[in-house]
Amino acid sequence: MSEFVEAVDIEVTVNGKTYQRSVEPRLLLVEFLREELGLTGTHIGCDTSYCGACTIHMNGAPVKSCTLFAVQADGQTLTTVEGLATDAGLHPLQKAFSEHHGLQCGYCTPGMLMSAKALLERNPNPSDKEIKKQIAGNVCRCTGYQNIIKSVHAAAAEMRES
Amino acid sequence: MEMKFNGEFKVAIPRQEAFDLLSDPQKFAPLLPTFHSMSMKDDKTATVKVKVGIGKIHGVAATELTLEEAQEPLRAEYVGRGKVMGGAYNMIAGFDLEEAGSDTLIKWRGETQMYGKILSLAGGSMRGYAESEINRLIGSLQLALSPEAEAAAIVAARQAAKPQGLWQKLLALFGLWSPPLPAAPAREVASKEEPAAAVRLLAKPPTRKVLKADVAPAALSRTEVGESIEMDRHGNPTWVGSHLRRKEDSRLVRGRGLYVDDYQSSDMLHLAVVRSPYAHAKILSIDVSEAEALPGVITTLTGAEIASVMQPYMQIGPEPGANIKDYPMAVTKTIYQGEPVVAVVAETARIAADAAELVNVDYEALEPVTSAEDAQHDKSIIHPDMGTNHNWHGIFEYGDLDQAFAEAAHVVKIDRLHFHRFSSTPLETNACVATWDKRGDIDFFTTNTFPAIAMQMMAPALGVSLDNIRCRTHDIGGSFGNKITSYPGMTIAALASRKLGGRQVKWIETRNENLLAGGHGGERTFLDTEVALDADGVITAIRSRHLDDCGAFPRYEPLGCAIWSQVLPATMKLRNIRVDFNQYITNKCPAVPNRGYSRLQHLWFMERVLDICGHQLGMEPDEIRRRNYITEFPYTTPNGCVYDSGDYLKMLKTAQDLLGWDEWKEKQRQARAEGRWLGIGIGTTLDSGSNNFAQAQIVNPDAPFSGNSEVCTLKVGLDGSIVAALGTVPSGQGHETATAQVVADVLKGVGPDLIHVHAGTDTARNAYSGHSGTYASQFAVTGLSAVHGAAVKLRKELLAVGAYALQASEDELEFGEGEMGAQLSVPGTDKVIPFMYLSNIINTNNAGLPPELDEVTLNVRHVFRPKFEVPDLKRKYGNLTLTYAAQLHIAVVEIDKYTFVPQILDYVVVDDCGTQINPKIVEGQVHGATAHGLGAALMEQYLYDASGNLLTSSFSDYTPITAMNMPDLKCASQESPSPFSYNGAKGCGEGGGAPLHTLSAAIQDALAGEDVVVGDTFGSPTAIYDLLHGKGRRTTVTHESRSAA
Repeated sequence: MSEFVEAVDIEVTVNGKTYQRSVEPRLLLVEFLREELGLTGTHIGCDTSYCGACTIHMNGAPVKSCTLFAVQADGQTLTTVEGLATDAGLHPLQKAFSEHHGLQCGYCTPGMLMSAKALLERNPNPSDKEIKKQIAGNVCRCTGYQNIIKSVHAAAAEMRES
Repeated sequence: MEMKFNGEFKVAIPRQEAFDLLSDPQKFAPLLPTFHSMSMKDDKTATVKVKVGIGKIHGVAATELTLEEAQEPLRAEYVGRGKVMGGAYNMIAGFDLEEAGSDTLIKWRGETQMYGKILSLAGGSMRGYAESEINRLIGSLQLALSPEAEAAAIVAARQAAKPQGLWQKLLALFGLWSPPLPAAPAREVASKEEPAAAVRLLAKPPTRKVLKADVAPAALSRTEVGESIEMDRHGNPTWVGSHLRRKEDSRLVRGRGLYVDDYQSSDMLHLAVVRSPYAHAKILSIDVSEAEALPGVITTLTGAEIASVMQPYMQIGPEPGANIKDYPMAVTKTIYQGEPVVAVVAETARIAADAAELVNVDYEALEPVTSAEDAQHDKSIIHPDMGTNHNWHGIFEYGDLDQAFAEAAHVVKIDRLHFHRFSSTPLETNACVATWDKRGDIDFFTTNTFPAIAMQMMAPALGVSLDNIRCRTHDIGGSFGNKITSYPGMTIAALASRKLGGRQVKWIETRNENLLAGGHGGERTFLDTEVALDADGVITAIRSRHLDDCGAFPRYEPLGCAIWSQVLPATMKLRNIRVDFNQYITNKCPAVPNRGYSRLQHLWFMERVLDICGHQLGMEPDEIRRRNYITEFPYTTPNGCVYDSGDYLKMLKTAQDLLGWDEWKEKQRQARAEGRWLGIGIGTTLDSGSNNFAQAQIVNPDAPFSGNSEVCTLKVGLDGSIVAALGTVPSGQGHETATAQVVADVLKGVGPDLIHVHAGTDTARNAYSGHSGTYASQFAVTGLSAVHGAAVKLRKELLAVGAYALQASEDELEFGEGEMGAQLSVPGTDKVIPFMYLSNIINTNNAGLPPELDEVTLNVRHVFRPKFEVPDLKRKYGNLTLTYAAQLHIAVVEIDKYTFVPQILDYVVVDDCGTQINPKIVEGQVHGATAHGLGAALMEQYLYDASGNLLTSSFSDYTPITAMNMPDLKCASQESPSPFSYNGAKGCGEGGGAPLHTLSAAIQDALAGEDVVVGDTFGSPTAIYDLLHGKGRRTTVTHESRSAA
């Protein structure tokens, strides 16, 4: 129970900003991001790591932040959906999702974007199948995935050109 | 009015380089704040367009900018002249450059003179506005003049030191601009000419290091040029029908949506629910002492306590169901697994969850009832006050069944068909933040998508006036009908808040709770079906007995007992139908509306019947459809519903062509010759939208519902902004965008960018009726008709004020966009007035107005009511819904002979929802509905064991469809405009049933040689294995052919 467990000091860099916090060891990383840091773009859609709405990057790799404890992120570098856009504008994936109607309710979108970003960083020209495989762990209940796949292709094309 | 500003800054580049930039209008002009585009008049003069705006007003202003003096490398001075916001201005901007070691010190000064109408209204705010604009210009200059590595640092520092001028205060006063998508690149510069160095520099993102260290992402949006989403009609003559990018996307792709759980507050409390592990059990005792002793726990609530402070909810149905005592929590016994038994409120969600585990409840298990068929026998009564499990019964009989069967050439009998339990499981679960304050008002920030019903349920139960309840939503993570019945959870949170003196209480379902108790789509069993056909394979009569399983509580039921009859004959022209309809209570999760609610069960049944008959008669599925389809519209069904328009034959042809029907038939012959199981199936479905609530009176003549209505309020704000508020409750359907399209077409000349539509709904905006919500495919017709009506009213008022202000006649006036945003003008004259002044005349500066403007408020409310009558309740005859969209799908499926996995090899979707408001949104609805149907047909089911345990109570077990399971869809659409809606549109959200019919038909066709009948909607590999190996209940079909006799 919470009152018997000592809090743990952690230091985490999120979207370039370094935070020091004292957290319960059982605090999930997604809860830490949402409740401690106010980064509510990362969502919770299930409790079995199935839906991927909580996908973020840890040291550049996509992780489901509901499957990690905040203490496991100690000393790590994280990127969330809030870190995708720069003051030069939106990330090509964000633009493409809007342009190709790759989102409806928007609840899965942050996780989708982060999963897709990880794919495009290692594979600038993915096939349909590679895209599907990458987002197999990201559930979308609105779009039927067709326009998400289209959006990822469009973003990939834009990123190849620039 | 004259204003002077000056200052200095240092840049780390040589003086000559700085001078080169400052003295070149082509490089300098793009640095102006909100630069839009430019063209060069000569080498010293540029015509520059900049976006200007205060609050929600924004327009494009033209400035002529001339390089008046250039002393290389010491001095550059510009003179600008332009018109802005109903006035004009001159300005001087000068720069003196001094060397400071290797750096350059730039001393700048600016002078502005302004005159004209603008000062009367915005004069006081102009200094702040000018200051902030100059601040932005200097910031851009510093950025452009800095070596690249430092560029971002300056942006960051500028952000931090942002002055709080009047302009910012005005922004706060007049509301927020939504964070925009980036504007299109500066077209005229970027297209032909070599992009200026400054433009190139600006376009580069700042280095990551600096950005991450100093600037929170949320602070960035204000610096971006262009606050609009840059809508374009793509050549379409109207905004309606254009493929618009959605207004909503700007916040959602940035992770800046506001879903209920995103709302946080330091004094908020958190509610966790202890749920019944039993499907049916008596509560012997509850001990909350251990839970309450846990530090951080504030209180607990039991069912008994709740029952002592509220009345049971109203029951929609008649006796005996009307006797059900429905509380949001179990009081003396639990009647489904997952039913709330105790609520725990604590300082954090985690402490609440811990405490919930410390609650001790003793149960005595009772016999569970887990199917409608078992419920019929009343061996175990679930609601003692009802005395039976039979919740509703009605006979829907039309035509002359006896004669049709007597004359039939074929009679086909099907003993049992079954539609399984699933739902669309929106990714965001049910949730609310409830505050029952000391004034007695209850505020809900909620995910409920039909607040009008939720409020009508809660207010009498809680003993408050409906007006004491405020429901508001913002972003909702999907609903698909499922969130309509979240009011019990909302009630618990509200009662907890009241008990705690009005503190905010947040309730968030976990996924496990959502699957157990968040509401399941309805399950239905079709017994003893008899079908009469003539010699040509035309169905002439159907009679059948239907058992609907509504779970433990009829919380929106028994409405579904009538709603299916909107599509009584499906797409077929038969006139003789008899359905003996029954609804039963079981010890399962209460049923909720789910995409295609109640109709898709019936449509699947009708299509399955049609295909089974086709197989019996040896008739191809396309041929039997051609013979049975309704072909003339409007078509009055045997029960008085009116199918507005459509062309099912054309849909079939389109779909077959798109698929390559003949080629697949040939491939199927080859596959069968090789012993493979390859099948082709067709499914047609109807999506009836904008229903007539009088059908509630079919289930209960005393039900206080009929007709339908939806509301929109539309106003011109004090700042001239155009603001719409809706009664509909979007959860991803793009209502903000579609509303802006409709309004923009009425105020022709004003683009959708300038129409602000409030996200979500809020009953405090007075934009709702008793039917308000999002369900039953009613936004495109009922919702947008309200928007259209409001826009027409507002247009009329604007013209009246405009005619008065400009001393012109109304028909001379033209809407448009100018420097101050939306405006009215008299073409060919200099008479022009922005909406801001029109609003000023009516709302803030209204002494001496003429009497003809007495009724004008520029704040209109329109309620749209489709013309409906109360049906003949005795005959169950009358029009139950306004529009009928249709979908036709074809699937090619191969079932693996070893794994029994049905693999979709090809999939075609043809959609007809009348006139499309936004084809992009329609396409999204079509894709999404198809995914729901495919998921349901192949993967998703709520599977209960004989004890009433839900075996699929996590996503890992329920397995919602993923990208890996989705076939690539081949889509086509046709438009049969509805004659019953002002815009020809039909509701389009609920074509989710078609894949169920289509997959059942394709699996049946694949297994054609195996002597089995597909009698269940669920087609998982296990279900197919069981079907082929005689496990579970089988469907038996008999065929009596009398044609020889």
